[in-house]
Amino acid sequence: MTMQSMHDKILELWPELVLFAGTCVVMVMGLSPKLAVRRMCAPVAGAALAVAGVLAALTTPEGRGLLPGLMPFAKVVVSVVGLAMLLLLDGTVDRTEERLIASGQPFNPLRTNRAEFYAFFLFSLTGLMLCASANDLIWLFLALELTSLPTYIMVTISRGGKAGARSQEAGVKYFFLGAMGAATFLFGFALLYGATGTTNLQAMKEFFAHAGEGGGITDLAIAGMLMSLLGVAFKIAAVPMHLYTPDVYEGAAAPVSAFLAFTPKTAGFISMILLCSTMGWTHGAGHSLPDLVRLLLWVMAALTMTVGNVLAILQSNVKRMLAYSSVAHSGYMLVALVAGPGSGRGITDNGLAAILFYLLSYGLMNLGAFAVLACLERRPGPDGEYREIETVDDLRGLCKTQPALGWTMVVCALSLLGFPPLLGFFAKVPLFTSAIAAGEIVLVVILGVNAAIAAYYYLRLVAMPLLEEPDATLPPAARTPFVSRPLAAFISAASVVVLVAFAGTLMREAGEAAKPPKATGHSNAAK
Amino acid sequence: MTELATTVWQGLAAAGLGAAEGWGVPPAVPGPMWIGLIPALPLLAVVLCTLCAIFKVKSKLPAWLTVGCLAASFVVTLLMYLNMSGSPMLSTAFTWIDVSWGSERSPRNLHANFGFYIDSLTCLWMLFVTGLATLIALYASEYMSHDVGKGYSRFFAAFSLFVFSMACLVMADNLILLYLGWEGVGLCSYLLIGYFYKKPSAVAAAKKAFIMNRIGDLGLALGIFLIFVKFGTVEYAKLFADGAFKEMLGHAMTGTSESWAKIPWDVKLIPILLMVGAFGKSAQFPLYVWLPDAMEGPTPVSALIHAATMVTAGVFLIARTYAVFQLSPSALTIVAIIGTVTALLAATIGMAQFDIKRIMAYSTVSQLGYMFAGLGVMTSVGACFHVFTHAFFKALLFLACGAVMHGFAGQLDLRKLSGVGKMPGWRIVGITMLVGCLNLAGFPLLAGFWSKDMILAQAFITPGMGLVGWVLLLTAGLTAYYTFRVYFRVFVGPQEHHPGDEAHGHDDHDAHGHGGHGHDDHGHAKADHKHEAHDFHPHPPGWAINLVLVVLAAASFAIIPLTFMGKHGGWVGDMVSHSSAAWSAPGEHHDDHAGHSHAAGDTHSHAGESSRSHDEEKLGTFLGMDPHAVMYYVSGVVGLIGIGVAYRLHLQGRTSAATSRADALLPMLGPIPKWAQNKWYVDEFYHFLFVRPLWVLSHIFHLIDRMLVDGLVNLAGILPRALGATIRPSQSGQLHGYAVAMAGGIGVLLLIVLLVAR
Amino acid sequence: MAILAPSMFLADVELSNYLPIVVIVLMAITFGIINVGVSMLLGPRRKGKVKGVTYESGMNPVGTARKRFNVRFYLIAVVFLVFDVEIIFLYPWASTFAHLTPQSEESLLWLGRIMFFLLTTVVAYLYGWRKGVFKFD
Repeated sequence: MTMQSMHDKILELWPELVLFAGTCVVMVMGLSPKLAVRRMCAPVAGAALAVAGVLAALTTPEGRGLLPGLMPFAKVVVSVVGLAMLLLLDGTVDRTEERLIASGQPFNPLRTNRAEFYAFFLFSLTGLMLCASANDLIWLFLALELTSLPTYIMVTISRGGKAGARSQEAGVKYFFLGAMGAATFLFGFALLYGATGTTNLQAMKEFFAHAGEGGGITDLAIAGMLMSLLGVAFKIAAVPMHLYTPDVYEGAAAPVSAFLAFTPKTAGFISMILLCSTMGWTHGAGHSLPDLVRLLLWVMAALTMTVGNVLAILQSNVKRMLAYSSVAHSGYMLVALVAGPGSGRGITDNGLAAILFYLLSYGLMNLGAFAVLACLERRPGPDGEYREIETVDDLRGLCKTQPALGWTMVVCALSLLGFPPLLGFFAKVPLFTSAIAAGEIVLVVILGVNAAIAAYYYLRLVAMPLLEEPDATLPPAARTPFVSRPLAAFISAASVVVLVAFAGTLMREAGEAAKPPKATGHSNAAK
Repeated sequence: MTELATTVWQGLAAAGLGAAEGWGVPPAVPGPMWIGLIPALPLLAVVLCTLCAIFKVKSKLPAWLTVGCLAASFVVTLLMYLNMSGSPMLSTAFTWIDVSWGSERSPRNLHANFGFYIDSLTCLWMLFVTGLATLIALYASEYMSHDVGKGYSRFFAAFSLFVFSMACLVMADNLILLYLGWEGVGLCSYLLIGYFYKKPSAVAAAKKAFIMNRIGDLGLALGIFLIFVKFGTVEYAKLFADGAFKEMLGHAMTGTSESWAKIPWDVKLIPILLMVGAFGKSAQFPLYVWLPDAMEGPTPVSALIHAATMVTAGVFLIARTYAVFQLSPSALTIVAIIGTVTALLAATIGMAQFDIKRIMAYSTVSQLGYMFAGLGVMTSVGACFHVFTHAFFKALLFLACGAVMHGFAGQLDLRKLSGVGKMPGWRIVGITMLVGCLNLAGFPLLAGFWSKDMILAQAFITPGMGLVGWVLLLTAGLTAYYTFRVYFRVFVGPQEHHPGDEAHGHDDHDAHGHGGHGHDDHGHAKADHKHEAHDFHPHPPGWAINLVLVVLAAASFAIIPLTFMGKHGGWVGDMVSHSSAAWSAPGEHHDDHAGHSHAAGDTHSHAGESSRSHDEEKLGTFLGMDPHAVMYYVSGVVGLIGIGVAYRLHLQGRTSAATSRADALLPMLGPIPKWAQNKWYVDEFYHFLFVRPLWVLSHIFHLIDRMLVDGLVNLAGILPRALGATIRPSQSGQLHGYAVAMAGGIGVLLLIVLLVAR
Repeated sequence: MAILAPSMFLADVELSNYLPIVVIVLMAITFGIINVGVSMLLGPRRKGKVKGVTYESGMNPVGTARKRFNVRFYLIAVVFLVFDVEIIFLYPWASTFAHLTPQSEESLLWLGRIMFFLLTTVVAYLYGWRKGVFKFD
């Protein structure tokens, strides 16, 4: 990397720099003894995200790398979904602590987590944006870890009181298994470096493209790619690296679970797209991925969808169900990853665009489902503990007791199921069409079957609030006293409905983001 | 003969078969974007009415919103009509479906825009769809007033959704969008028939309509699939310009057995499949039984959906794809025969019914039969013309019947009403009803007369269709009889009325259609009305209903000048013959017509048809005379005879509502009237043939489902559980268990990949 | 794509490049084995009570070793780590920076980078301060 390109690279990094500045401010402000200052954490984080989003949309220059249009799109998506997430995160930490302080206990910075929580939230999103900017393996590794490491801690500190033990357990599990995943893809990266002699993705692509002239795709490179993809599979919770998902989602507070379903998954998919782009499709060395890589993704996609959906059916805990369904959704997107960017004849056969669009849609609608859970709680029992709404039965008759939240759940679950004419349907269609265009008919059939299986458990989330009567024996679930959480839920539900009108535009934007670079003459060189 | 052959050749050459253009359809030109407003405005009404439903609006607001949006849509349609040029216009709202697959060498692409194909056929249909919808919505605003606040918003939302779907169906530029509209109108029909969902018979009727339509829809879907498979496109413009399609059309036009043999059998199957779809939607034999039952819906719905517009979708489908229908030697013949059978069958049933709305329903089925017969004998102009005139006078008839039903608390039995037209406040209803009846009966010089005439004449002209013509002529007489049976018994004669079972005390219509308890049992026809006058007063229709009736009656008259302005259907004929339905039958197109018709295509179709009728064969005649010339008189006379018989039997000397001279004649006919009254036991036959076996089958499947499928589902539940039990150590929060499983998973996956690759 | 097989890996990789590593690993292992082995062979072996205590020539330990420590020890350790790492990073930077042309664009960029890095440590310090890490009471 020359010095000049470093300059340019910094130009592309304004959003990340803004987020980092926001992180620094939040980290210090959250420790102020004054409540008013502490309260400013979320607004400052929001402002940083908003500015980052605007900067990403305005200042990001036309990139050169593997996918020139990816950066602005991904970063804007990250800041938009991040803002919605921020609304949901309100009140997750320090609830008991703040109550004690209000009742006269002195402020003890060591006991509060607010500063860390919001700072890590921003750190994670910074890492996610950096993933989209990555042009180097080392960069990619650091960005992926910057995305994940803060989430480990967010999970751990997300719940207080007795439930804190569960969130700590979840956090520790998440951390160690995450380390294992990181080790796996780091191993893969090392092999890739060994095979190509470079860590730069662009250079790597050119190396793979020059078969016979001291380049080409060697077996070592394939091995590296397989290990990399398997390692990154941890981030997207794909089989076989999905095992942590239900435990972690269940252990974490609902807002953090929503965050987990979006952030590492997006980072993982962006990394996978970048990695695969070096080797295959028209972006890299060949029209399609090398057989072994394609096969791995194929098997992974089929298994991930099926395992996720089948296990989700059995769950009675909504968070576990949504966790497994998150696994299944990763499988759906892997189908489009197998399909690749297509011939470029139409946007509907561009699988990468389909993934990017799906990530946005999934982030929004999943946010709504978790937000409904986060908005509800059982009033404190004899032990003074608030209980989260967790089981499917807790949602019984929600449309009658809490109409707005109930309908949000119904709309979001229908959208997750892919029910027309909601956003989830329009997001799922390109997955199908791109895979059909790529000729992956068997995979499309598996995808279709899985979409049908998914209906089984998503419809429970629809029927429970809508059709069932509220359980009279239990006190009804009450709203949590955080105003912005229902706001996040409604924004999500509204976007699921309203964005349908802009589905075409969004899909086109995603198509721009997934557009291959202008032909450089040797991009289609024969293997 | 040689001349004809030369004409064929020239026609083929001129039309440029296999080259650039379609047969009579000029290449499409881009149309303006605002055409999209025509379906968009009703959709807006749907949204607004839904909002009204959500916010529980307790006023007539939804009705006014609907009327406003539909009227605006009608205005846009008018603008579209004024903007028409000779070529069809294509206007794309957005790309809807675009999927490519296949290899580089044989790329396959399914492309369907959410776009509109506007030619004069579309204009014709949209004009009466939006126009009638506006009027009927206005009528419904009063008619449905009992339901304000309860189902009012729901009714108008579904009503507007229907108009939106119909617009999609008619304006679509591809068969998939047409199918969307097709299913959409089916859905709305279901929703509106079952509008009084607390009434079991309405629910049953809704289900019957929906299921019957499924049979037809299956045919349509298969037909569309087959078109895509054979010609690689579902867009009309591309299909009509497709080389393979035109080549096959050329074979069909040549008409010899060798040339027929060149058309693959599965292409010949396409029109048959489309035809099944059309039969289902347009209530043709054997799929007609749902339509009379559909009268369970509110009357405006019956008028709009089940008389004027939706049921003509089948005619539209055939007219739109008329060229495709030329590809099969038998399809149009079947259409003609089925249409004729339906016309006769429904007319005979209609003669024996007592429920006036049901009589109108059977007359609709019968008239639809006419339209199909018209298509079958190659007069698409006649068929579409009849659709057009029928839409107006049938809507008028239904709305007049609806006014009676509304005013007399749901009373529809013609034995319990008499002299309604003379009652105070009912004069307009009586007069407009007379206009409608005259039209339906084919009274000379009225709109219905001209359109029916055209079909009749063509039936006699087309070779081999003579029998069809005779049956249709007989049916025309029967139609006149049963139409005026209603009029003479209900609207004139001695004044008498008994309220229907929806009368609850004084003018209380709260239970309108909700399965009222019927505290008065009026089964005994002898009860005189004075006895009931103290607790029931019919309330005459208000301004909205009257206004709509008058406008419709005026429109029925206004069609006549439209007809007179030229030969062969006049204005309507022009509209149709400039569209994709522009195939004409032998003898219909004379030289005078070529002036305003697309020259190349016309010559071709003319020539093509001539050759198809095996050249030397003489065109059919009516008892040795030119049918076009004499049919005016013959059908007029037949209609008058029918009316005369009805007068003699049902008005002359009738003193009460319940009895008439016809009753004396019934025993002479033996059991036939009873059979006809029981609809020839077709429903019972279907019940025995399909419903009962299906019932048994469904129970068997239910058992299988319980045992096998539930078993499988449980197994599917048990398997993961069993699997879970084996991985339980790692699932119970054991960190190392997860780690081992992940590492093992990586190993297994790599192994799978390597093994499969090998 | 050819089948992935160990033999083909070997063909790809220049094994001789890794020879020095192998030699170092071998030397390390040998060194360890020799040390242990020689002391086992030559060293005297005596057993006794005094020999078995934790600190052979110090005070006897009091209480258990598995005792909770105040969390502040760890916090201090973490803060120390921050500055420790900072120094490690500063050293290579300083040695490179000395070779850059003064006032050039390149050197400014390098300066900017390290300033950014120092800023992060300042923020970390500030955070630690506000968190009360340095208050040991």
